[in-house]
Amino acid sequence: MQLQLQQVLPVYFDENHRTGSEIWRQDLTFTKGEYIKIVAPSGSGKTSLMHFLYGMRNEYNGNIVYNTADLRNYTPEDFAGYRKDHVSIVLQDLRLFPEQSVQENIELKRQLNPFHPAEKIREMAERLGIGNKLASKSRICSYGEQQRVAIIRALMQPFDFLLLDEPFSHLDDKNSQNAMQLMLEEAKLRNAAIIFADLERIDWFPYTRIFHL
Amino acid sequence: MVVSFKPIRSLLQTGTNTGSRWFSYVGLGIGVLLLLCSIQMYINIQQLLGGESQRKEGSDFISISKTITNETMGQLEKNLFNANDIKDIADKPFVEGVSPLTANRFRVQLSAGDIIPFSTDMFLESLDNNFIDTVPPNFTWKEGQDYIPIVFSSDFLEIYNVFAPGYGLPQLSAETASQVVVFITCYGQNGEKQTFRGSIVALSDRVNSIIVPKNFLDWANNKFGNTTDVKASRLYIKTRDANNPDFLNYLQQKNYKVNKDKTKFGRVKQVLQGIFSGLGIFGLLVVILALMLFSFYLQLMIARSKDNLQLLLMMGYSPNWLSKNVSKQFIPVYVLVVLVALALTEGMQWAFHHFAMFDRPELSSLLHWGVLSTAIFLIGLSLLTNYRMVRKLLYKLV
Repeated sequence: MQLQLQQVLPVYFDENHRTGSEIWRQDLTFTKGEYIKIVAPSGSGKTSLMHFLYGMRNEYNGNIVYNTADLRNYTPEDFAGYRKDHVSIVLQDLRLFPEQSVQENIELKRQLNPFHPAEKIREMAERLGIGNKLASKSRICSYGEQQRVAIIRALMQPFDFLLLDEPFSHLDDKNSQNAMQLMLEEAKLRNAAIIFADLERIDWFPYTRIFHL
Repeated sequence: MVVSFKPIRSLLQTGTNTGSRWFSYVGLGIGVLLLLCSIQMYINIQQLLGGESQRKEGSDFISISKTITNETMGQLEKNLFNANDIKDIADKPFVEGVSPLTANRFRVQLSAGDIIPFSTDMFLESLDNNFIDTVPPNFTWKEGQDYIPIVFSSDFLEIYNVFAPGYGLPQLSAETASQVVVFITCYGQNGEKQTFRGSIVALSDRVNSIIVPKNFLDWANNKFGNTTDVKASRLYIKTRDANNPDFLNYLQQKNYKVNKDKTKFGRVKQVLQGIFSGLGIFGLLVVILALMLFSFYLQLMIARSKDNLQLLLMMGYSPNWLSKNVSKQFIPVYVLVVLVALALTEGMQWAFHHFAMFDRPELSSLLHWGVLSTAIFLIGLSLLTNYRMVRKLLYKLV
């Protein structure tokens, strides 16, 4: 299981961006079990990269290849399978269903391809300190709480790669460490890779490789 | 993948446009009702006005004769159809077949033997079997056979039954009439005569005559009338449509006489069929309109739920699975709408049969299978159009 970047550059970036970047216009291979840290200042294309890897957008030159298949050749059905079985994501903008409860938001992901039984939702929520929020609509939860919901949601499915796009932007250090610990355990369970993009280095992520975008 | 659609249903915001949804359901119901009623009525007309006794293989049969005027009176040649006339008619595109009605050219006398003391001079005619509506298998004659099968006009039997009591003769049912053996005596020009036995083997609604097998009459005309070239006074014409304007114009131009009542009957039928075809087309238009309205409603629903649907797709829900399930939501209501329309059509048909047609046997109180299959087809059509549209819209969101 590997994810390859082949000379990828967003079409809306000019060629200057490639100078100094360790990702754009490079040939890179990420394999299962790796912990990849991507340090990226604002505007360097961090969210674009995550969207490209998850197949949400394709405005890039070059190729992204999962195993042997180029994401450009994926049909909508292929993407559904890719996101259901192989790649999970915590997006910077969270994207929860505002009118559904926390429990429902997580269950909608879990039922698609359950890696954990339904009871695991409560267990994880308790562990991240949002156990009392399960019945609340997600739109009345704070950003920090919503961020933890998005993290738990991402951990409900099987995956080879877990993509994290500034997952702790609204969390304090203690909650962040707590959530990171949970994600590391879950990644280990699946022998999966984590690709973690953030503005700066975070000490409690035990990366095996680091790249500057 | 056993994924439940239940939690997703609440993500599809139907919002405030419930009114427009119900409006499209009602529209669809009215359209389907109109369409089904029209089809059923169209079939009713076919069954009522196109019964087996009137039509054979879906064609009209009409007899024509030359109009006898004061100028042509007494000139037999001018009042009969010759071979050229027949060929001319047969060549017309609107004519499917022509058969001359050949009459006897000798004196024929009929008596009923001892059972009914009745005797009369009469005539015999022959016609191609294809043109007779009721031809039993025993309607044949071979030379040397002294039995002659007869196809008798039902009108003549009725006329007989009208005058029989006045002459002290028994009235006859159709069944009894066919059991009576009559004696047919043919007189030749040289005083020779021969008597045959005969009986009615079938009654005909179409042919107003006494029909005997063609080969018998040809033989008898030759033997007793000393003629082989018998010209026809009447022609039977088989045509796809007796109301074809070209056909009617041709008859008028040739000054041929036609049974006006028969073409009037056809014209009434044509007008009725026209009305119900029109209604059916109108119903179809209403159905299409309702489906369009419903598709606007669906588009609106998908537009309003766009964020939620996009998020579901982003989470890894299969667009195909979503389209199927979204369109499945409408199966019960579609089936209900069509079933209600079917039930109303059935009520209409029952009332029409019972109150307007007084339970006539040609009709059924139940719906024709064509109507049922149209209803099933409509359900399938609406589901398919929905599915295709939802699928198209969802694939755009991926």
